[in-house]
Amino acid sequence: MSLPCGTRNYSYNTDMAIIRTKTQWVLFSLFLLALFTLPFYLPSSWFDTVNSIGIIVIAVVGLNILMGYCGQLSLGQAGFMAVGAFTTAIFSQSLQMPFLLSLVCSGLSAGLIGLIFGIPSLRVKGFYLAISTIAAQFIIIWVLKNWTDVTHGANGLDVLQASIGNFVFDSEARQYYLIFSIASLSVLFATNLARGRIGRAFIAVRDNDLAAEVMGINVFNYKLLGFFLGCFFAGLAGSLYAQYKGHISYEDFTFQQSILYIGMLIVGGLGSSLGPILGTVLIESLQKGLTYWVAPWLEQTVTFLPTGFSSGLNLMVFGLAFILILIFEPRGLAHLWSLFKGSYRLWPFSY
Amino acid sequence: MKKSQLAVVISLLLALAFIFTNLLACAPTQEKLWWIGYSVPLTGIAAEKGAPIMHGQLDAVEYINNELGGVDGIKIHPDWYDTNYDSTKATANVKKFMEDRCLFFTVVSSKEMSASKEVANRAGFPGMVCFSAPTCTHPPQHIYAQLPDYGDDWAAFSRYYLKNIWKGQGKPKMALELLNNSTGYGVRDAARAAADELGIEIVATEEHSATTISETDALTRIKATNPDILFISSTPAPTAIILKNASDLKMIPGLTVACAHASFTKALIDSAGKDVCQDIYGVYPTVSWGDNVPGMAKMVEYCTKMHPEYTGNNDYMIGWASSLINAEIIKQALKTSSADALLKGDATAWQLVEKNGFQNVKGYDVGGLHGPVDFSDPVDKRGSKSVKIFQVKNGEMVALTADWVDAPNIKYENLDWFK
Amino acid sequence: MDTFIQNSISGIAIGMVYALIALGFALIWKSSRVANLALGQLVLISSWFTYGMLMQLKFPFWFGMLMTIAFAVLLGWLIERLALRPLIGQPILSLIAVTLGLAYFLEGLTAFIWPQGQGYLPRVFPQESIRIGPATIQQELLWGAVISLVLFILLSLFFKYHKMGIAMRATADDQLAVQACAVPVTRIFSMSWIFACIVAAIGGILISSIAAINYGLVETGFKSFSVVILGGMESFLGCIVAGPIIGICETFGGSLFGSSVKELIPFLIIMIVIMFKPFGLFGEERIERI
Repeated sequence: MSLPCGTRNYSYNTDMAIIRTKTQWVLFSLFLLALFTLPFYLPSSWFDTVNSIGIIVIAVVGLNILMGYCGQLSLGQAGFMAVGAFTTAIFSQSLQMPFLLSLVCSGLSAGLIGLIFGIPSLRVKGFYLAISTIAAQFIIIWVLKNWTDVTHGANGLDVLQASIGNFVFDSEARQYYLIFSIASLSVLFATNLARGRIGRAFIAVRDNDLAAEVMGINVFNYKLLGFFLGCFFAGLAGSLYAQYKGHISYEDFTFQQSILYIGMLIVGGLGSSLGPILGTVLIESLQKGLTYWVAPWLEQTVTFLPTGFSSGLNLMVFGLAFILILIFEPRGLAHLWSLFKGSYRLWPFSY
Repeated sequence: MKKSQLAVVISLLLALAFIFTNLLACAPTQEKLWWIGYSVPLTGIAAEKGAPIMHGQLDAVEYINNELGGVDGIKIHPDWYDTNYDSTKATANVKKFMEDRCLFFTVVSSKEMSASKEVANRAGFPGMVCFSAPTCTHPPQHIYAQLPDYGDDWAAFSRYYLKNIWKGQGKPKMALELLNNSTGYGVRDAARAAADELGIEIVATEEHSATTISETDALTRIKATNPDILFISSTPAPTAIILKNASDLKMIPGLTVACAHASFTKALIDSAGKDVCQDIYGVYPTVSWGDNVPGMAKMVEYCTKMHPEYTGNNDYMIGWASSLINAEIIKQALKTSSADALLKGDATAWQLVEKNGFQNVKGYDVGGLHGPVDFSDPVDKRGSKSVKIFQVKNGEMVALTADWVDAPNIKYENLDWFK
Repeated sequence: MDTFIQNSISGIAIGMVYALIALGFALIWKSSRVANLALGQLVLISSWFTYGMLMQLKFPFWFGMLMTIAFAVLLGWLIERLALRPLIGQPILSLIAVTLGLAYFLEGLTAFIWPQGQGYLPRVFPQESIRIGPATIQQELLWGAVISLVLFILLSLFFKYHKMGIAMRATADDQLAVQACAVPVTRIFSMSWIFACIVAAIGGILISSIAAINYGLVETGFKSFSVVILGGMESFLGCIVAGPIIGICETFGGSLFGSSVKELIPFLIIMIVIMFKPFGLFGEERIERI
């Protein structure tokens, strides 16, 4: 799209590339370097936050494909994550399947379940469809809760840590590499998907599905594909979550979480590849930071309020931050970033 | 552009505030303290129980630090975090405790413990749960339970019933009305495991949600099976509705009704009314509030001073007792290991505290507040193994048994349907 | 036969209470197309406020109720003025996400002011149960049903005949066109939020005087989503019909397949309805043009 002055493309390949200038290459390599050397200088108390951000990014990237590109509102992402998590638990535990295989199976099973709940998208759209995905969330959780022979109901299942061959991902740093490799691949895949034929078709469906149909796009197929892909990523995230946490039960995947993922996506910015990452990082670190740093600090310094006041205050601040971000940047952080890039390029001129 | 510039400034400020508070919190504390992790559901759906328990725990820590001078002269630092009754947060809390180099940790509810136990078990980080369910301590690993679980309530009451109340021929017929989470499912599992052995026939199992506003339909179905006992394992609000509906349906008085310990509190009688609650049996793992036991006076003193709103709330007592047990564990550990080794709070210290601390707690009586605590059994990881049977008489809970009633340990790990 | 009558009657009564909460959701949807995710939290905070008035400040009952309604009006106005108005004209999803932030904020606020987590209201309605034929029903549920019917009639009449109500419907349909007709869109939004908060307060007082005030009210709020969708998002009649249908299905499903199925049934109904009648029982079918 917008390029710095003086950059010219001489072939379609350079025109299509994601990274096009030297500065971008330098920045990108620095970013990759930072990302993959992070465990060496990250304080150990941060690992849990960073790893869970990585897992949630995958789920939100999936949600972005479904909601941001394809325009199908889904309020059941945590339910689809649960499908993936339980698939991994069962496949890798009772069937002794290697982790990578069960990871793929988790994605596929969540995707297939997503297809079933995507069928109503043929006839309904907008919030009506959202309600069918709420139904998906509750039906999936109900099945996991009551199919006790397989899922052990409220007792839940233990899951072994992921391993490839004899290499077990048994420390937080190793988990970091596992999670972030898969997260990076997912982001890359989603970015390229959005730039290709499928992504264009998704956007056409999102903007006006009747018009898209007239243009010769098979709307139903693309909507279902959107559901499959969105839920596939949810499945991957669920699978990673299961092996990272070690014990899962239906109670890990609540409706509130599904809603929160949507909140992360909207805060980050719908329909951009950067949005889900920014939203997840901001919301998740806000939540963790409030719980583990701000709350104890408040309890220590403010003594005239009764003990325990900080947990209510935390939620208030979290909600307030959420509202403020949206009020100041209703199109999401990714929009803010592109504004920043735009004004940086033109600086010191305003336009 | 003006608006977005403002937004940039705000997000920068947010980030700065974030880093700043982080630095503040990271400032190393020089003081020697016993760090103990407390994971509590202070907000969310279990706040009604989480709040009194946590305040009981923290008040007891205050008492230990101020009046007993800590443990071995070193004060206890309660490292507490809210869980919002959320499994993911509960697990993150346990990781945080390990990072903070806590000696061990306590969790309030069975749900949070079953979510976070695997992380702790993998690292060998010992923990104790106040309200447990069979799944927390079976198979036995590094997790200990302060009190008998909901399933044990059922088993203890059933035994008591068969011995003292049941006058008929053959097997008594029992109906279960259970909350749809581990509070209720603990009883369901126990009944599945031990009903035949005890000689009780389960004729109906009904579930309800915590948000129920009428249980008339479920009770109509229960009534049709003509049971001798109705056993309820739930929280106070739904139990009050069940009792009121049962009274509307003319099931009580007449039917024997018993409640497991999650609902058998003062809130139940307040909300259902004392006429409806008349003659209801209840199982509770502590003595009643104000009983003449050695530990009571101190607790009541602190409760009236710091949190008068929890007066008469037995959950506060459980919280109080749990902190006393924590201090006892450290005290036992110090008999064989050095304070410096323990204060490190690393994997070795966890091993030491589990081996020398937890497993040396034998017959500790917690000031008589609840049954004596014994963590030395390698299989039975429950501290207190006994409950009391109460009955409501004119709005008061009256203990029917002077002594503790033994709650048998059900060996779930031998059953193939219980993993 | 007795069970049949009992199931039907308790199902209808419970369903009417769900319908009451659902009315508040439909109200906002009808006037601004915003899905209010903070519905349960609105119910929660107004119940706690009533608790504060009646149990902590010990006001007489009528005064406490008056204060609660005043509080609901203020709350609705504040929410609209501070959180939603800055977003007028922005993507609708951002508005929905703001209600999510609002939900967290209100939940935190209640936890901050009332940390005890559970409270009991004085019993507003007589406790004696009523017998209808062979069936028994709690009187408070019957009162709940009456209140939701009354509210339903009032709201329907308002939206049908009052100038403001008509303007609200028009706003939902096309904001720009309505603005061009010199209808104050902002006032319409704040009116609809005020009404929604009042409905939520009434529902909250009703439910919490039957059971208790705790976080469960939020989950009851979620449950009413299923009522709204079955009835059709913009239809009050839909709420009042769909509530009892879901209630009845719950009680009968419970007695046929065991009570664990109860919580599944509303969502199965949703899936079936969406397959066959995508706009709910009484929703408007939208005809789309390119």
